[in-house]
Amino acid sequence: MIDEPDNAPVKLETRAAVLVAAVFLLIAASVGYLLYARGVFERTQTVVLLADDSEGVVVGMDVTFSGFALGRVSRIELGPDGNARIVVLVPHKDAHWLRTSSVFTMERGLVGGTRIRAYSGILTDPPLPDGAERTVLRGDATAEIPRLMNAARELLANLQTMTAPDSPLNTGLAHVGGAAAQLRGPHGALGLLMGNEADARKLITTLDRTNALLARLDGLAARADTQVFGEQGVMPAAQATVLQLNGLLSDARASLKKADAVLLEAQAIANNTREGTADLAALRGEVESSLRKVERLVNEINRKWPFARDTEIRLP
Amino acid sequence: MSTANALRSWQPALRRGWQSTVRNLNTSALLLTLILSPSSYRRGPRAVIAHHVYLGTAPMLPWFTLLVALASLVLIHIVVVTAASYGLSQYALETVIRVLVLELIPLVSALFVAVNVTLPGGVALSRQRAMAQRGSPAMAAPLLAEAMARVLAGMFAVITLAVVSCVVSLVLTYLVVHGLAPAAFGAYTRKVGQVFNPAVTLIFVLKTLFFSLAVSLVPILGGLHPAPMRAGRAELPEVQGLVRMFFLILLIEIVSLVGNYY
Repeated sequence: MIDEPDNAPVKLETRAAVLVAAVFLLIAASVGYLLYARGVFERTQTVVLLADDSEGVVVGMDVTFSGFALGRVSRIELGPDGNARIVVLVPHKDAHWLRTSSVFTMERGLVGGTRIRAYSGILTDPPLPDGAERTVLRGDATAEIPRLMNAARELLANLQTMTAPDSPLNTGLAHVGGAAAQLRGPHGALGLLMGNEADARKLITTLDRTNALLARLDGLAARADTQVFGEQGVMPAAQATVLQLNGLLSDARASLKKADAVLLEAQAIANNTREGTADLAALRGEVESSLRKVERLVNEINRKWPFARDTEIRLP
Repeated sequence: MSTANALRSWQPALRRGWQSTVRNLNTSALLLTLILSPSSYRRGPRAVIAHHVYLGTAPMLPWFTLLVALASLVLIHIVVVTAASYGLSQYALETVIRVLVLELIPLVSALFVAVNVTLPGGVALSRQRAMAQRGSPAMAAPLLAEAMARVLAGMFAVITLAVVSCVVSLVLTYLVVHGLAPAAFGAYTRKVGQVFNPAVTLIFVLKTLFFSLAVSLVPILGGLHPAPMRAGRAELPEVQGLVRMFFLILLIEIVSLVGNYY
């Protein structure tokens, strides 16, 4: 059918041109979409992640933050110190999620590829500068397997040592078996504790004598009970004594009350005496002044005639 | 002695094969030069090219796209459901894109164009060549122009079908996985960008180009230079061309797989 020449070649040419143009447009759009998908039109900044092993990291893989793709690995190179340098391109519009305190982890699960994740704990910290280098923390599930295998091997070796015929555990169990046999023996736990029959017998004899002693102590205690708490015992006498003491104490209390009253009276007397003493001082002053007056009067009379006399004292 | 005899008996066949290969390579180079020459797109030849390009692509584009869309829907659904049942949903999208867009669609487009356009075109060209041989030798130049137009039409058809089908498949994949919600467009675009890294994209483009060349050139070359019927071989020349074309397609596919995954 396609070999038949069209009757309207111009029309066909137009259609062909439209078709070709449409296909080229579609191809151009597809190329543009792929370039957009590859992030060619995005303004980016770089973050260099340093890892001791970049196994599993491929160019183009995502770096996620809270499950969202934040950037992509653009280059992996070996640094001068032997560490892998994973260069990550982060679009400017998402770069604010990365802070100077951000932590980067690289996890490798048992199923699936390696994943690089970013964590920003403090979003108020300064933003991560362009070209910043950060060490990536590795969490490798497959790397745990050899360690796990080593631990399991050590555990198995220990178990083997423990379960060997001459192992301490087996010896211990044999001893436990012997002890159990001794427990089941005629002397039971005593034989196990003492170790030999003679000592066990000694202990039993000791126990018997202790029992006899206890029986005697029992009788002694009964007699003491009678003597102490019996009708003629110490306790009733002590009780009577206590009663008498109570009476004595009551008497003493009454005497003391009386003495208290006497003391009160004596206190009153003392007060009166103190007051009287105060009056006595005044009285004494008055008497002294009267006596001085009388003395002055007598002296005056003595100086007067006919009562004048010689008062001069002559020394021998 | 027996080895020398065997070589002597294969010698004419080897010589014929060599001569045929050289001749085909020459003609291919000539045709590609004509395709790349601006003079081929002057008013006269342009009508022939437009005729073949339009009629070689437009009639089958809608129903091929429909067919690919249906097959893609089934395949996408199978991959997504299987991945989900194994708890590997995050890998479903990448698998679908790789399997459908990168591998299946270019191959199916090439085979479809070969069966519908270029193989019949080769037969028609062979008939035209026979008529020209019976007529005047002046018809040789229009025959070459016709061959060039058919090759171009075949290449254009393969590329068009592949591009349209890839776009349809990508859209369908998005719709099957995320539904009509536009919110996942960013993540989906990112995933597409991850799959189409520069190496994979280059291999995809080269593979589609070489597929289009293989399905366009081989039948047309068979029409221009039909292989003579050989004694003891019952195949028709068209069948020989078909086998050669399938062999080339297989080779391109293997090389692309090696390039993509090793």
